[in-house]
Amino acid sequence: MTVPAEPAGDLPEAAVRRFADGAFTSGLTVPDFAACLQMGLEPVGFTQGYCVMQWQWYGMPQMGGGFGYQWGGVRGYSETFNCPHGMVSQEHRAWGQNYEQSWLEDAWASGFSTAYERMLDEAGAAGAHGIVGVVDTSAPLADMGVVEFRVQGTAVRVVDGPAPADGRPWSTYLAGQRLAKLVEAGYAPVSIAATVASVGLWANCVTQYQTEGTAGMFRTGNPGEEIVQTAKAHTAARRIATERIRGQLGPDSLHGASLRTTHRAQGEGDATIEAVLRGNRVRRFKDFDPMPAPRPTVRLL
Amino acid sequence: MTGPEPLGPDAGADSSDPKADMRSAADALAGPARNAGGARTTSDLSIDEELVLHSIGWEPVELVSGVSIHAVPVGVWNWGQGEIGYASAAYARSFAAAVDRLHQACTHAGGHGVVGVHVEWAVERHHIEVTLVGTAVRPVGSTGIGTDPVFVSDLSGRDFALLHTAGWAPLGLAAGASFVYAPRRSMGATMKQSGQNVELTNFTEAMYAAREAAMERMQAAALALGGTGVVEVKVTEGPMEFARHAVGFTAYGTVVRLVADEHRHVGARMVLPLDDAQVGFDAASLRGG
Repeated sequence: MTVPAEPAGDLPEAAVRRFADGAFTSGLTVPDFAACLQMGLEPVGFTQGYCVMQWQWYGMPQMGGGFGYQWGGVRGYSETFNCPHGMVSQEHRAWGQNYEQSWLEDAWASGFSTAYERMLDEAGAAGAHGIVGVVDTSAPLADMGVVEFRVQGTAVRVVDGPAPADGRPWSTYLAGQRLAKLVEAGYAPVSIAATVASVGLWANCVTQYQTEGTAGMFRTGNPGEEIVQTAKAHTAARRIATERIRGQLGPDSLHGASLRTTHRAQGEGDATIEAVLRGNRVRRFKDFDPMPAPRPTVRLL
Repeated sequence: MTGPEPLGPDAGADSSDPKADMRSAADALAGPARNAGGARTTSDLSIDEELVLHSIGWEPVELVSGVSIHAVPVGVWNWGQGEIGYASAAYARSFAAAVDRLHQACTHAGGHGVVGVHVEWAVERHHIEVTLVGTAVRPVGSTGIGTDPVFVSDLSGRDFALLHTAGWAPLGLAAGASFVYAPRRSMGATMKQSGQNVELTNFTEAMYAAREAAMERMQAAALALGGTGVVEVKVTEGPMEFARHAVGFTAYGTVVRLVADEHRHVGARMVLPLDDAQVGFDAASLRGG
């Protein structure tokens, strides 16, 4: 293992010392470790990146005006839902909107990518070519409104292999046999990919009544009406997440993705919908090697 | 002193060279980004599923989803008699709309069907919600829309390949649900049954009604798709969390049909795994415990 004499500036001193000490550390299980060696990957060290962010759901930039006005300083998806009743009253929600909460997405992206870049710096300084078995989590820390982003993984070198382009290590959520199969199938791991789409739902009267079950007085006589605004907000959150990831992929593909969506109800039909999409960005480096049809087996025990 | 004999390579193992593969991958990553061929895809399949799909000539295209939420007004779950038609209809419509949206997303992506669909649904007091997320797939290299209707299936890539090998094809998801009031007992019945452990026929009958209606709806949906049957049916049953006097039964599964001339026997080979049933070490097992 080689350690550059002048490590990248941002690294903790202790981390530099730890990597220089010779023995490797890794987060791999023994089977994963064995699979790495079998592929010619040599573990360098367990690398980590962290970033603690201030996190406020309502930290929206100044809005441009009163209701009925497009949010100021907010970009991306927005859709307005007007009241079909023609009622004017203080209580009646004559106007509703679905809007992408870009300030939240930016905060998430900033926290995640800062932690990720720190992990890459650590791995790069240790002379690694790639990082396998990446785990990323985020958890509230200390108080409401403080979130820590954590990205951890095992840095590896490709024995006798070339350094990656720009010296930036590649990364993947996979390790062990799954990674070996991926590579054998003709995919090279490029990086982990993750994004969050956050859509705020400011309910109009119809959505409020439908969500609270009080739409009866305004019912059109058609049973089983869809809550259109909420369904559209959910669809939009997923669409934004997949489109953004696709925009980051370049010529590559997304493999082994997971799309998780949470709905935080905030009363009177209002809600925040958050879609988290994670996956492995992979690049085809050879044609898919078609596997012979596998032989089915039955276990006797 | 020599150590134990190294584990020998399995005689049946294939001749692939993982080190050479990894080196080629590293070479590709050392150069500028470019695609060595094949389509740009997004998928939530595992590598195993992707490999097994490829082995039968299919490939993933795109991660697709469909969502629908239908309202259930106040009063629907209140005491009453017979089926809670409003709730049953809301479930059916949510499922149908979510499937419809998944179809559209799949067609838009150039897929011929969607496999490995994660079905998430919720019956709440004031709404019923269905979310479907899966990977659109197509025969390797095919472009444009397939000749067969788009299928949606919650079977995994492995199950899809196994069905295919056996000569069957998935056609779509079939779902059925029914919510029924368990009627109040009459004053006389309550008096007669008090203090005795006897059957509460009002609940038994309500559950029966819900089951029969839901199963019938699922079966009707399967027939409408031209299916022979439904596999991997998942059912839930029981009273509603928020209204214990209302019972519900839901069922969904993948509709399949025999497309080959006859069912093909997959000819599974029997294997006797020799690995320990118990992974952890347990001192008690040494003493025959």
